[in-house]
Amino acid sequence: MTETRSRKAAAGSIQVVEADIAIVGGGVAGCLAAVGAAEIGAKVAILEKGGIIERSGSIAAGVDHYIAVLDEGEEWDKPGYLLRHVPVVTQGVTDLPAAARLIYGLPGMVKRLEDMGVDFHDPDKPGIPYYRHRAFGLPGEYYINFDGRHFKHSIGRAARKTGAKVFERVMVSEVLMDNGRPKGVVAFNIRTGAVFFVLAPTVILAAGDANRIGENASGFPFDSWHIPYNTGDGHGMALRVGAQLANMEFTDSTVSPKGYSTQGLNAFVGAGAHFINVNGERFMFKYDPKGERASRAALVNGVVGETLAGRGPIYCDCTHLSEEEAQHLVRTLGVDRPALPDYFAQKKINLSKEPFEVTVGEIATVRAGALFRGSGVHVDADAASSVPGIYAAGDCSSMNAAVAGAAVMGHVAGQSAARFAQNQPRPEALSKDEIERIHEDMVRPLHQEEGITFRQFEDEVRHIVTHYIGYRREEKYLQEGLHRLQLLREREKEMIAENYHGLMRVNEARNIRAVAEALATSAIERKETRASAAHFRVDFPDTDDENGRRIIMVEQGAEGKLRVSSRQTGLQVDVLPEVPPEILAQEEEAV
Amino acid sequence: MTVIPVVIDENICVEKCTICDVFCPGDIIYRLEKDKPPVVMYPDECWYCGACALHCPVDAISIIFPPEMLDCQTTVASLLEKPEL
Ligand SMILES: Cc1cc2nc3c(=O)[nH]c(=O)nc-3n(C[C@H](O)[C@H](O)[C@H](O)COP(=O)(O)OP(=O)(O)OC[C@H]3O[C@@H](n4cnc5c(N)ncnc54)[C@H](O)[C@@H]3O)c2cc1C
Ligand code: SF4
Ligand code: SF4
Repeated sequence: MTETRSRKAAAGSIQVVEADIAIVGGGVAGCLAAVGAAEIGAKVAILEKGGIIERSGSIAAGVDHYIAVLDEGEEWDKPGYLLRHVPVVTQGVTDLPAAARLIYGLPGMVKRLEDMGVDFHDPDKPGIPYYRHRAFGLPGEYYINFDGRHFKHSIGRAARKTGAKVFERVMVSEVLMDNGRPKGVVAFNIRTGAVFFVLAPTVILAAGDANRIGENASGFPFDSWHIPYNTGDGHGMALRVGAQLANMEFTDSTVSPKGYSTQGLNAFVGAGAHFINVNGERFMFKYDPKGERASRAALVNGVVGETLAGRGPIYCDCTHLSEEEAQHLVRTLGVDRPALPDYFAQKKINLSKEPFEVTVGEIATVRAGALFRGSGVHVDADAASSVPGIYAAGDCSSMNAAVAGAAVMGHVAGQSAARFAQNQPRPEALSKDEIERIHEDMVRPLHQEEGITFRQFEDEVRHIVTHYIGYRREEKYLQEGLHRLQLLREREKEMIAENYHGLMRVNEARNIRAVAEALATSAIERKETRASAAHFRVDFPDTDDENGRRIIMVEQGAEGKLRVSSRQTGLQVDVLPEVPPEILAQEEEAV
Repeated sequence: MTVIPVVIDENICVEKCTICDVFCPGDIIYRLEKDKPPVVMYPDECWYCGACALHCPVDAISIIFPPEMLDCQTTVASLLEKPEL
């Protein structure tokens, strides 16, 4: 039955579309890329596997904070000041010119977003234009608190208004190449199976972070801190066309109520919550002088350390809050994650009366354990990857800073790609045979009679990432894990799908494995501990600043094997550098 | 046993509305026929984000957490175990 269904789609609905730029993913970065490209007059196609760009992606339900430099007078509020602190924030491991492009773009982006209809006022603080506060170890009050439940709606609408061709419920499965240059993408509708070839000389990867790569406490793989439908599709496609990924050894996680992987850690810590072990001891100060105010990676590290020392379970204690304060806290948690208040209500727990048990969340590839760095497609200050014509932005790139970073670098990617496209010959039309071959390849899992499900395949990846890589890394386990991930590649062909929704999951599973292999390869290469739980080697427990301030990159070589290379960053963390003159000149020109 | 994360009150769901179907970031809810309530097609792929419930214009949707999430019995140490080599 599957057979006839897909054959019918194959015969009926293959569409070829031409554009200057194909944007993979209509999230924050993808929408701003479309806006940036349209400003230069490029013809854009956005392809989004979610339902509608006004709601798709990580912030489908909302955001509650935004990182901004406003240049309103205070010294810390100037881009140059923040940039000088980037080496400290990233422990000396990042690309400074790309970070400069992001940071110098922050003031203008606030204005641009307001013009799109984003309202940055905090409803709890009606008297002031922006409610700003300090968080995540940044050297100033860069965080604007606001009610961002409609943020995605505003930017999605702005992207649509540019006249871009928007394909929704359409998953890109591959970037098409011609002589080392992109010639477009191939994609399919996840419900109808309609196939789209978008021929374009430039491609922007904006497919978000990589989740579903690690095990969690509930045992439900889609119960994840970050969005489980972002599965490293941009990372996987980049690898397959020969582009480099950077910083893949750094992973992210959070501390969450045991059983529900969710946002909320900052709000709890901000409200003054204590973490206590089974003996009732407040243990975080043993791990970090800032105690519970330490970075997320340090909190994860503390919970892991106590658990391994046999002092679990670990609890989050808010009993010093009044009942009213506790209720207010739970309500505010709902802006970022609307179902979180329901969770606490159904758990029947009164936060002001009893502590609740927490766990470390699943391992994920989100933002390389620090702001102004990312684990993903390696990009320069123009958001260009190592392959000419391919750009990347947002959480799938090596330069990100949550929503603000995705917005600024998405916009940069749109502009860079538009300029590049102006001087490129149009890709040659695809022959009937080529179309047939690519399409056959894409739908193969639908025709297979027997095989394994995407879930079986992914379970294997999650087991390896959790237990062979994990929060405490060691050479022999990493090597064995890498070996297993390489063997698993052979089993990709065995995955079967019942329908096009299932075909999407099979594609995602392939990308999840590719991300895990890049992670294992890079983690082997970094023989030191850095950024706390983001990369903790028990066999190299110290931070090696002599050799460790390097960016580690991987790319796919012959026969699919990953090759590693690395580059010293030359960044100092003990003295604040002046902003290098060449960066200043470059930014003045860009602004 | 399949867990049902999203429960839709068929009595108040509005005819022709497709908000939950279109807003779900994971292609989990389908409204296939306008006179029948939406179907939770892939319950075990739900994120438990609550976007569908938040945006339903008539509050017809409840997110129901299963025992595995509310009263989780996994020991955290088991997530940190290293295999035998
Ligand atoms: C619940 C939650 C709350 C958050 N709150 C905040 C906050 O308050 N402040 C903040 O600064 N940051 C927050 N973040 C982080 C922030 O959302 C991300 O850093 C940001 O969205 C990254 O933008 P992006 O464009 O890279 O990814 P996304 O916005 O997630 O967009 C990626 C898009 O690509 C699509 N896609 C993926 N693969 C494909 C494919 N193969 N084909 C077609 N489309 C594809 C996805 O469907 C998705 O729409 C939050 C994240 C989550 C999950
Ligand atoms: S809770 Fe989120 S993932 Fe689950 S059905 Fe609703 S919108 Fe979709
Ligand atoms: S959003 Fe609410 S009213 Fe609309 S289809 Fe879904 S359940 Fe029905």
